Amino acid sequence: MHRFANPARFLQLARPLTAATLLLGLALTAAGLWWGAFHAPPDYLQGESVRIMYLHVPTAWISMGSYLGLGITGIVILVWKHPLAEVALEALAPVGAVFAGVCLLTGSIWGRPTWGTWWVWDGRLTSMLVLFFLFLGVVALAGAFDERSRGARAAAVLAIVGLINLPIIKFSVEWWNTLHQSASITLRGSSIHPDMLHPLLTSAVGLGLLMAAAVLMRMRAIIAEQRIAARRARLAGDAA
Amino acid sequence: MNALPFVIAAYAAAAIGIGGVLAWSWLSMRRAEKAADALRGERR
Amino acid sequence: MKPKHQRLALAGAAVAALGIAAALALPALQDQAAYFYAPADVVAKGVAPGQAIRLGGLVEKGSLTRSADGLTIHFRVTDRLETVPVDYTGIVPDLFREGQGMIADGRFDANGTFKAETLLAKHDEKYMPPEVAKAVERAEAAAKARPEKPAP
Repeated sequence: MHRFANPARFLQLARPLTAATLLLGLALTAAGLWWGAFHAPPDYLQGESVRIMYLHVPTAWISMGSYLGLGITGIVILVWKHPLAEVALEALAPVGAVFAGVCLLTGSIWGRPTWGTWWVWDGRLTSMLVLFFLFLGVVALAGAFDERSRGARAAAVLAIVGLINLPIIKFSVEWWNTLHQSASITLRGSSIHPDMLHPLLTSAVGLGLLMAAAVLMRMRAIIAEQRIAARRARLAGDAA
Repeated sequence: MNALPFVIAAYAAAAIGIGGVLAWSWLSMRRAEKAADALRGERR
Repeated sequence: MKPKHQRLALAGAAVAALGIAAALALPALQDQAAYFYAPADVVAKGVAPGQAIRLGGLVEKGSLTRSADGLTIHFRVTDRLETVPVDYTGIVPDLFREGQGMIADGRFDANGTFKAETLLAKHDEKYMPPEVAKAVERAEAAAKARPEKPAP
């Protein structure tokens, strides 16, 4: 079994890691958002509404990245039946849902004064909404069974099937005519001015660390709950 | 269209969502770990 | 709710979520995924007058005019391959301007003019401060004004 599979080992790592990701995440997020909200320049076209970018873009990246993590965790569950992977899946899904939800909400709020609408059913927005529903579906499936492992396995299947949505989201703006513009940051470079790009990257790293912190805390909570349930079952067995 | 109310609304929504999930994660962790440690104490 | 019913409800919710996801994803995988027709698509596919479609493209520079009563705008939308004339009466988004993108719902009239019923502004993927944009504009204008050098 993998060195970190043993919950005790994981917990040894998780405790200092939680503090580190939480503190560093809060610091970088605060710095990036303060910078973006108050010190970065307005956009030549969008004016002040561009400041929503410092929330919307990081949460988009993070929700897509965390769904990739969710899918990989699902594969680990089905192929290796790793107990820690089941915990990770249960922890990732609701946190990923929140980040996806914040992405959709901030995007909608950004769209109204810029595009002139809160929502359109174009390829990008629709596939991001599907991503949000997939997170919710994983949460629901994982909790639908009395036996935690069965729920985790069912949810793992959904998580893996949903992976197809990630390239759809990414390439929606290239494959189809969409209202949402194409990518500003590509392997070839960035079309975002440095004065905006730097606070964006800062807040992205910060929010990513906060996501990690939330997932670590949820994993610790789930592991503790499992220990309580196991101990109670043993105590009840002893008393019988 | 004045962008300010939209910017504020977006930052508020993000603060509530992300702050909320952090608070929930933290509180659920504290509650569960405290209870697990208490049970371990009973064993001895 | 009985635990068994709770499980069923949760499982049902999961299946519903999957169903919604599929229902939303499936059309996206078909040709209908294109949110709008570009002018070249319109010319190639031959849209009949009166057929409701969505038209998208760049607002051609120098083509934007406003009617005498100030309520209707006329412009031409282009994808650098074809150009289509558009009329629109109504609220214009702040970001709508020449040289930027737009998406309009509406129909063609008998004369080949697109009568837009809704108008959205589409912006590109570039972000920069106003001073930088002005500098870029000045540089582009200077490059245009420079006489063409003969190729060596």
